[in-house]
Amino acid sequence: MSVGSKVAIKLERVTAGYLTAARGWRSLRRRLEVVLNNVSLEVYNGERVVIIGESGSGKSTLLRVVLGLLKPLRGRVVVLGKEVYSLPWSERVRVLRAVGYVPQDPYKALNPSLKIRYSLMEPLEALGIGDPEGRMARVLRLVQLSEEVMNYYPTDLSGGMRQRVLIARAVIHDPEILVLDEPTSALDVSIQAQIINLINDLYEKLNLTVLVVTHDLGVAQYLADRAVILYKGEIVEEGFFEDVLHSPRNNYTKLLIKSYRASI
Amino acid sequence: MEAMVLAVKAVGLRVGYLDSEENVLWAVREASFEVSEGEIFCLVGESGCGKSTVGNAIAGILPPHAVTEGELHIFDRPVIQGGRMNYNGVRGRIVSYVPQNPGTGLNPYYTVEDQFYYVLNSLYGLGRRKAVEVSRNYLSLVGLDPDRVLDYYPHELSGGMQQRAAIALALSTGARVVVADEPTSSIDANLRLQLIKLLLDLRDSQRISLFLITHDIMSAGKICDTIAVMYAGRLLEVGRGSEVVTEPLHQYTRMLVDAAPTLGFKKALRSIPGEPPRPGVVVEGCAFRPRCPWAFEKCVEAPPRVGVFGREVECWRYVG
Repeated sequence: MSVGSKVAIKLERVTAGYLTAARGWRSLRRRLEVVLNNVSLEVYNGERVVIIGESGSGKSTLLRVVLGLLKPLRGRVVVLGKEVYSLPWSERVRVLRAVGYVPQDPYKALNPSLKIRYSLMEPLEALGIGDPEGRMARVLRLVQLSEEVMNYYPTDLSGGMRQRVLIARAVIHDPEILVLDEPTSALDVSIQAQIINLINDLYEKLNLTVLVVTHDLGVAQYLADRAVILYKGEIVEEGFFEDVLHSPRNNYTKLLIKSYRASI
Repeated sequence: MEAMVLAVKAVGLRVGYLDSEENVLWAVREASFEVSEGEIFCLVGESGCGKSTVGNAIAGILPPHAVTEGELHIFDRPVIQGGRMNYNGVRGRIVSYVPQNPGTGLNPYYTVEDQFYYVLNSLYGLGRRKAVEVSRNYLSLVGLDPDRVLDYYPHELSGGMQQRAAIALALSTGARVVVADEPTSSIDANLRLQLIKLLLDLRDSQRISLFLITHDIMSAGKICDTIAVMYAGRLLEVGRGSEVVTEPLHQYTRMLVDAAPTLGFKKALRSIPGEPPRPGVVVEGCAFRPRCPWAFEKCVEAPPRVGVFGREVECWRYVG
């Protein structure tokens, strides 16, 4: 699929953070902890962008901002041409309907007391989309699961199958953008390969724009057209993955690549 | 060459768990291996293959409903003989354990100093002052500054520091064998490299044996002297670390290597089709047969363990 020139996600000088207790957990004074500092990023239509960073670098916070879950302190967030945080809630939901999200831990992200059928149906009910049976059958085929899975509980499924269910749930409402948070970090190496291939497969079949967050350069290699290196809340390097890998300019990126090569 | 001292020796070890109807689900069906002193031994496999159970058996932390068969010796002491287990004088003192997630392995209500004190006090009856002295030694050994770290609670340490503290705690008992469950999973590349260097240093300076459990065969190949590949409770291939990764003999090992990404060389990622058998499901013959592209009629019989190029493989293709 060709990368379009239309911008799917645009962050403009975004600063975001959380309030934490100033000193000691009993304190009533709150201190602002800035996690993302002046981040600007553009993701084009039909592009696969991977955000690489170590834990604490702010990569999950960046996703929260994109998903409309955390209002940035400063800066603009534009998703599919609409400025997300200046819209009223009802409008915001309509924009964010075009975004599918796969959360980090497949062992925690599915409600253990619901059969897979009802977990899959939730986004459809929330968004008021009809024909749940047809859609469920279609997405399960897409992620290569049999329809029997609908009647299972999450505990009956292996980690790889759960991740497939989560991906199915993220694309069930035909989003234009798929956002994945560490899609393989909780999985075995053999399953990891299946999930990577599945994501790339869906990217082509569904004409998606894919935004992935990971700390694993090896995984990023397979999912990235473009890589963004995040360090301590700031983007330190950005470029085509191959360019970043073979000629990194930033010292942190160099260190990251060197230590990855040495440890694996 | 100095005489090889065996740290861990397992002969036909089988470990299972009793379910609610008193049936035994065998997690480890047959494991025979040897770990010598000062060796880094890696057990590699997918989740659910029984690798953590082997680690728990060595560390002496099997739950009460575990059932054992075969033998397990630690420095010539039989800790498992048939159905009997006796870890007296071994658990904690000779073998210690670094849990999978250091954040949950440390007690959140104790400072680092207290963690050391309670471990050393319950094992050796050390007083507070002596315990602090010992803990200072081991904390500096793993590259932490004792003056800063001793007063910290676990949540005040970063992930890497927690992991180091957990390793220092495991070593502080004077253990000769350290079992570490997934020590490098879910940590960043920088930290992983530091940790690997630390483990190699400790092996050289303290001559401890390391028993690492991991699902990442590529990083295992970088650090281990010996790799054992486990599948459905059996060891399919045991050999020298670098060789197993570069020239896998068993088809399962080969597929594990093919599924792992290598940076800078974008080969097609081939995943292993199918799923490993569920616990309690017995596959007749070779357990990997349903997923193996090279399976032939002989594979319905259990394959023998054969020695090929100094490695041990359980596969019919190398027989005869």
